[in-house]
Amino acid sequence: MADTLTPPAPSAPAATGIAARAVGASKIYGSGEAEVRALDNISVEFERSKLTAIMGPSGSGKSTLLHCLAGLDRLTAGAIYLGDAEISSMNEKQLTVIRRDKLGFIFQAYNLIPTLDALENMTLPMSLAGRKPDAEWLDTVVTTVRLGDRLKHRPSELSGGQQQRVAVARALLSRPEIVFADEPTGNLDSKSGAEILTFMRKAVDELGQTIVMVTHDPGAAAYADRVVFLADGHIVDELAAPTADSVLDKMRSLGG
Amino acid sequence: MWKVTLKGIWAKKVRFLLTGVAVILGVAFVSGTFVLTATISSTFDKLFTEIYQNTDAVVRAKQTFDSNFGGGRGRVDASLLPVVRGATGVAQADGSVQGLAVIVDKNDKALGSNGRGAPTFGFAWIPDRDLSSLTLVDGHGPKKADEIVIDKASADNAGYKVGDTVPVITKAGRADYQLSGIVKFGSSNSLLGATIVAFAPETAAKVLATPGTFDAINVKADPGVSQVEVTRNIRAALRDAPDTKNVEVISGDKITQESQSNLKKNLSFFNTFLLVFAIVSLLVGSFIIFNTFSIIVAQRGRELALLRAIGAARGQVLGSVMFEAVLVGIFASAIGFVGGVFLASGLKALLGAIGVDIPAGGIVIPASAVIWSFVTGMVVTIVAALFPALRASRIPPIAAMRDVAIDRSNSSRTRIVLGLLVTLLGAGLLALGLFGNGSNGLAQVGLGIGVVFLGVAVLGPTIAAPLSRVIGAPIRKMKGITGALAQENAVRNPKRTSATAAALMIGVALVGLITIFAASARTSISASIDRSMKADYVVNSSGFGTGTIPIVAEDKLREVPNVESVSGVRTTQAKIKGSVDFLWAADPAKINSLFDLQPTAGNISKLSPTGIAILDTVASDNNLKMGDTVKVGFPSTGTQEFRVESIFSQAGFANWVVPLAAFDKNVPDQFDNQIYIKTSDGVTPENTAALKKVVAEFPGPKLETRDQFKQTQVNQVNQLLNLIYVLLFFAIVIALFGIANTLGLSIIERTHELGLLRAVGMTRRQLRSSVRWESVIISLLGTFLGLVIGVLFAWALVHALADQGIDQFSLAPVQLLVIVVLAGVFGVIAAIWPARRAARLDILESIRTE
Repeated sequence: MADTLTPPAPSAPAATGIAARAVGASKIYGSGEAEVRALDNISVEFERSKLTAIMGPSGSGKSTLLHCLAGLDRLTAGAIYLGDAEISSMNEKQLTVIRRDKLGFIFQAYNLIPTLDALENMTLPMSLAGRKPDAEWLDTVVTTVRLGDRLKHRPSELSGGQQQRVAVARALLSRPEIVFADEPTGNLDSKSGAEILTFMRKAVDELGQTIVMVTHDPGAAAYADRVVFLADGHIVDELAAPTADSVLDKMRSLGG
Repeated sequence: MWKVTLKGIWAKKVRFLLTGVAVILGVAFVSGTFVLTATISSTFDKLFTEIYQNTDAVVRAKQTFDSNFGGGRGRVDASLLPVVRGATGVAQADGSVQGLAVIVDKNDKALGSNGRGAPTFGFAWIPDRDLSSLTLVDGHGPKKADEIVIDKASADNAGYKVGDTVPVITKAGRADYQLSGIVKFGSSNSLLGATIVAFAPETAAKVLATPGTFDAINVKADPGVSQVEVTRNIRAALRDAPDTKNVEVISGDKITQESQSNLKKNLSFFNTFLLVFAIVSLLVGSFIIFNTFSIIVAQRGRELALLRAIGAARGQVLGSVMFEAVLVGIFASAIGFVGGVFLASGLKALLGAIGVDIPAGGIVIPASAVIWSFVTGMVVTIVAALFPALRASRIPPIAAMRDVAIDRSNSSRTRIVLGLLVTLLGAGLLALGLFGNGSNGLAQVGLGIGVVFLGVAVLGPTIAAPLSRVIGAPIRKMKGITGALAQENAVRNPKRTSATAAALMIGVALVGLITIFAASARTSISASIDRSMKADYVVNSSGFGTGTIPIVAEDKLREVPNVESVSGVRTTQAKIKGSVDFLWAADPAKINSLFDLQPTAGNISKLSPTGIAILDTVASDNNLKMGDTVKVGFPSTGTQEFRVESIFSQAGFANWVVPLAAFDKNVPDQFDNQIYIKTSDGVTPENTAALKKVVAEFPGPKLETRDQFKQTQVNQVNQLLNLIYVLLFFAIVIALFGIANTLGLSIIERTHELGLLRAVGMTRRQLRSSVRWESVIISLLGTFLGLVIGVLFAWALVHALADQGIDQFSLAPVQLLVIVVLAGVFGVIAAIWPARRAARLDILESIRTE
């Protein structure tokens, strides 16, 4: 299977370097007494061709960070760079095009459009851009996510795991610079979850894909190359080459 | 429970308003109709009371038949006046004379009768002011034979002042008169836009009527003598006089009431017309209410189930939904009622603009307007919301734990069978109304149309999905993924789509029906003139009625060079074979040179003074053969017998034709309705100029070439058409609100989905486009269904009216195409608000999981 996963023409310029970074990023809700600092002057970099996990307790700001990195939300202060482009200063229209052409998304739920079949869902971002997917690459991705016989099915006819695989295929198909995954296994049973994570891992190792994933599951974080820990809007720690146990230990020490 | 409902409504103000709009417009029509009627009635009640305040009794001829055009009554002999004056208790009595007189303005144009049908009255001046309905406001009454007074509205319009010379056209031709005074009709400047000329009594007898006759004798009683008493005394006095079998005496109160109710009867067509549109609006509105509540219930399914789970009874859930419906009903009825009051003032102004002047007077709001506004508004809303509410109450508590808004399959066999049955029932009623001989055919047609709409609406969910797919296919091809999403969204909820489209379907079907019917009528008229008319020119009276061309015009036209053949055509209403119909008269010797009537029996050009020619279908309907006797009742001369001497097959000209000689004997005060002219060299500029010069002497009637005449006849159809279009436009606007409302609700339902689309790179513009195309698909679906129904209705209608001269079915493809394009444009307009709303959704809010 490893052979078939070679992309015909990778769009990522180099397999090394920084894919995305936040510089002095702050996100503040409300003001005065009611002020909440969801992100408090965070600076962090995400390496190319790596799977980075962001972890932290509820309200730590991990989802806000992901949304800001993905151009779905705006910072109060600081800057976000995607490659060399500063996306935090872009307008809504430019951001939409960036999301469509340069980013991939995997959400926890409501990941697919119910009126479109699996194949249409996968190719949705490219269709929106008015482009045709590369036939060979499409074939590769479809084979990899093992959905060949399900392409004409509507989401309502697919299991949760299958739906999420379609979502992963959609995120990869346009060969984005970064895929952002927000609790991608949150709604799945452990077997389906493991399948998705394995596939994401493969995409990084074999295709050189960059993935940033928010999760609260140490088991999921163990698939990452690096884990960044957030608490109260600050980056409090990080861990390279994590295992489920090391992540759990770190969480305990941070929580305690 | 009520608090939950109220909070829910407040949270969705816009939706609440949109839901109400449909009912508001319908109720406004209802309320407007009642207010307008009451306003007009009260104005005229006052006017007639005032006019007849000094009239205690009226002596006049009995009515031969009831006629909408005010005919049907003969005259009384002037010799009765001394008898009436001699009756006990009579203080004053004088005869009144009424006829047709057209005032010519300073630009040599006719006043008043410009095709709008407002009458142009001529009266005899009654010197005794107490007995006259005319009040002098300037100058003095006509004393000399060439003096006249005219109504203030006409004087103002034409700029005539006392002392001016005023040309007036009467049956005696055109003559100049001196304006000696200006009058009002009671206290009103004019009567419904009619023009009034009053002549000195001797002149009036000559130019308006037959000397020695009166239309009526008005009586004022001695002080202290009651109306009943004086009426009885006059009757007694007349009983001894000769030839008074056909004379009746009625009291002043009765003539007041009669005038008031006649006027209301004449305006009642207007009421019926408006009420029909009220019904259409409310029908369209009920679809929208039904749909809105269905969607609300589907969306709130989880919430309602939760209420049930925590202990709400089924009745309470039902009550909660119905409470919202009642609120919508009250709110919409109240606004609709107020809107109707404004609509009534608007319509009053509109009536004035088309020449029907209604005397000044405040708007009158009768209790019936309030009651019917609320009754119709509430009933429509509540009935339409009842089914969705019942469905809501059936949601099991367990549904709280399930996903909501799942559309069940809609192609159940029961639905198809039921839908087909209802549709067939409607079609049957329609056919019965159109082709049956029942007396209430019109009601059956209306009901049939309504039931067909209902049947198609029941079938709707079954056909909506496949049809929308077909309609959406080119859009999908053209617009790629946005088109595909639009198509899929239109198809995903067939019940909703079809109910939304059904509202539009009704308006479009009626527009289509009217359009095709009018096109068929135009083609038929055009073809009928082509077939039947040999004349090169027509002098045509404008408007309806019995014509305004003085007969002397015929002789003058005959003297024009190149003119070969001239015949006036006159019409009157008469009682023929027991029912009132139009009787036509022409010069038999000229008929064959001016018309091609396709005689099948007898020789129409040899029609004797007691002979009658009949259209073949009319003859067979009445079982008449050559040589049979036909009894014709005339108001002046009573029943006369005619012998069938010719039968012709050319429809579209006339049903019953008698020679001018017979007409002369039985109908007083004749005018030509039309004069047909044949020249030796056809239509040439020289002929036109020469004829025009003669016709210009009698302003009002127009000289038309054969082609212009055809155009005029066709245009009459168009004029009526425009008014209907304006009113049906409201029905379509209501349907647009329905589409906007449904889409708006659907978008709330699809929040997550839209958020996802935006997150993965759909631009706002693409999202708006997708919503817009979905709206266009729904619009086109409604339009398509409507046009199919409209075409079928029109086809049936044209076939039913084949023997009325509408025998050509014309599909009017250009107009139908315009309707389709407009429907698409309307779809785009309806989508503006929902599309903006969709595009404005905050992405993060939308994709946030609960």
